[in-house]
Amino acid sequence: MIAYNKSWLNNLRVLALFKAHLEQQRITDEEFKAITNAYRVGFYTTGFFARVGLAILTFVIVLFGDGLLSLMFWASGVVSAGGWLIFLGLLSYGALELMIHTKHHFRSGVDDALSFLSAAQVIAGFAILLYAGNENYLALSAIICLTTLFLTIRFLDTLTAAICVFSFFSVVFFGVEKIGSAGLAVIPFVMIIASALVYLAVMRIKNDIRLINYQHCLAATVVVCQLTFYAAGNYYIVQTLSDEINGVAKPIALAPFFWMWTFLIPLAYLGFGTKRKDILLIRISLLLIAAAALTFRTYYHILPVDLMLTLSGAIVLGLVYAITKYLKHPKHGFTLEEANEANLMDNLKIESLVVTQTFGHTQTPQNDGAKFGGGEFGGGGASDGF
Amino acid sequence: MGAEFYNDLHEKGLISDGSFARLNEPQMRPNLSVHWEIRTLLYIGVVLLTGGLGLAVYENIDTIGHTAVLTLIGLIAGGSFIYCFKTTKPFSWNKVSAPNAYFDYILLLGCISLVSFIGYWQYQYHIFGTDYGLATLIPMVALFFIAYYFDHLGILSMAIANLAVWMGLSVTPKALLLQNDFDKAILTNTYIVLATILLLAAFLTDRYRFKRHFKFSYQHYGVHTGYIALLAGYFHYYDEYIAAVYMLTLFLLSALLYTDAMKNKSFYFLLLLTLYTYFALSCLAMRALFRVGDEGALYLAFFYFIGSALGLIFLLIHFNKKLKTA
Repeated sequence: MIAYNKSWLNNLRVLALFKAHLEQQRITDEEFKAITNAYRVGFYTTGFFARVGLAILTFVIVLFGDGLLSLMFWASGVVSAGGWLIFLGLLSYGALELMIHTKHHFRSGVDDALSFLSAAQVIAGFAILLYAGNENYLALSAIICLTTLFLTIRFLDTLTAAICVFSFFSVVFFGVEKIGSAGLAVIPFVMIIASALVYLAVMRIKNDIRLINYQHCLAATVVVCQLTFYAAGNYYIVQTLSDEINGVAKPIALAPFFWMWTFLIPLAYLGFGTKRKDILLIRISLLLIAAAALTFRTYYHILPVDLMLTLSGAIVLGLVYAITKYLKHPKHGFTLEEANEANLMDNLKIESLVVTQTFGHTQTPQNDGAKFGGGEFGGGGASDGF
Repeated sequence: MGAEFYNDLHEKGLISDGSFARLNEPQMRPNLSVHWEIRTLLYIGVVLLTGGLGLAVYENIDTIGHTAVLTLIGLIAGGSFIYCFKTTKPFSWNKVSAPNAYFDYILLLGCISLVSFIGYWQYQYHIFGTDYGLATLIPMVALFFIAYYFDHLGILSMAIANLAVWMGLSVTPKALLLQNDFDKAILTNTYIVLATILLLAAFLTDRYRFKRHFKFSYQHYGVHTGYIALLAGYFHYYDEYIAAVYMLTLFLLSALLYTDAMKNKSFYFLLLLTLYTYFALSCLAMRALFRVGDEGALYLAFFYFIGSALGLIFLLIHFNKKLKTA
């Protein structure tokens, strides 16, 4: 099922484990070298910048190659059909399989770009076919979900995994919406329950040894579930969606519940994240606290902007001061020391760039992606994956 | 991968007895680092606070009065700098780490206040008259001094941006692409001078070991400014012979950068020079093909991009290998 060489994937994990042991000086350099020799990895993998460069060039090749093909077949009239894009997507997919099997590319930028392009082409092709008559978000979401599900299973990519779960939730959303007014009233709760169910399912299977290659994908799935779980009950989102669907702005039912949800869930996340030492959940909770504050600000202007900014700045700085005082010596498993991980940015001094750009620093998208697979998983929808 | 696995490796002789014992010790879960989370929060806090105060001043300028505002900003700047001078570690031409977690941000607060202080003063009271050169020169010199004295990369970036302002430009990459009018040849050439200064600074920083870790910032801004300005110059003089000078200078820059990147094993700069040079070469190739201008040329253009991009992929893979083994 997995396109990459499985024993190499296993060796990668072994090396990562012993790299950590090496950093904590449980083994010596020579031993690490011996282990590296014993557990050979034949993948062609590059550093971050090489990956970006190769991805850009792969995009150039595929786009111009497709352009050339389209130019040659222009006269025949096949180019204008939606199926043509699907055909091009399948070509990209073929190239992807070829690169993985003959050149052993693994996260090199080439495979990332090819899988992204093939997914985009196939999905766009289907969208053109579908949208010939009328808009159908349900079908489109289902196609995205199936396409990314196939790619996740075959190429173990975290981004496709995240998109897959997200599109699964949109399938649920548009499905419930179709039911009519009864469906509309319960959408937030259905989405909350759906997120919770997927989350619980993933947590159940997360440590299954048979899924060891999917650890990163499952972790990404968990993050998406945590985000949708919150978003489904956030007051702003519920109110906006309700206005949109009803066509008029009117107060929503159960407003106190959604307000509680807006504020309590981020705090609960922060609590759980701290308790479980889950740095990802802590980061999510910090983001969601900001989202909750913004939500409140959208509906209640109790403070002028300048005062609010100054106050929140003072509160944040006060909190930071308190935390640094408290953690002067590591406590309860938390430390202020920088983690002993290799600087993955090629010594790029990110922070200095951020200071001049003030949030303008764009992250390079990880072009990971997707390709479609024919009806292999046609029956069960995304739930197959969990 | 538990005890059995380590056992197996031990039997194979891959790990020694001592290491084997260490691996089997109950392993303490390492402390979870919240270093970057705290730093991010500090940064957000400083931005919110200065933004809020700035807005408050802006909205209440009629009631507060300019003198009071100036005094307040001056006090913040002065206070920050007094704190920094008191707590900083002794100066050295090598890297000096910050004495505590707040230091960098207090210094940043001080610098932002200093720049606003001078700007405000000039705007309201015209202390430098109409000599805008002097009005931007003074904060620039101050920022460079602070960046070197306290060893702060963020302030160095601010100082470089101020250098560009002083030269009548704005250097943050976004602004470079979005705001500036590249049709003015004089601006383009000023950019080229700026890039030369920055690249020279990068070279000298490395050569004479004055704060060697500052090299990246100089080179980063120098490379982007240089390439974009040279390409802009080329397009400005597109139909004149002097365009060739810009192109040739660009290739010279690439050659110099290539030796430097190989020496320092920096794939980042290798990638930048490859892509910028590729863009320049493609401009030349397209120019030649459009001269021909029939349908065949269009096909050739497609083949050119497919072929050249393929070639470039092999080149990057080759560079990558070379950097790893060198």
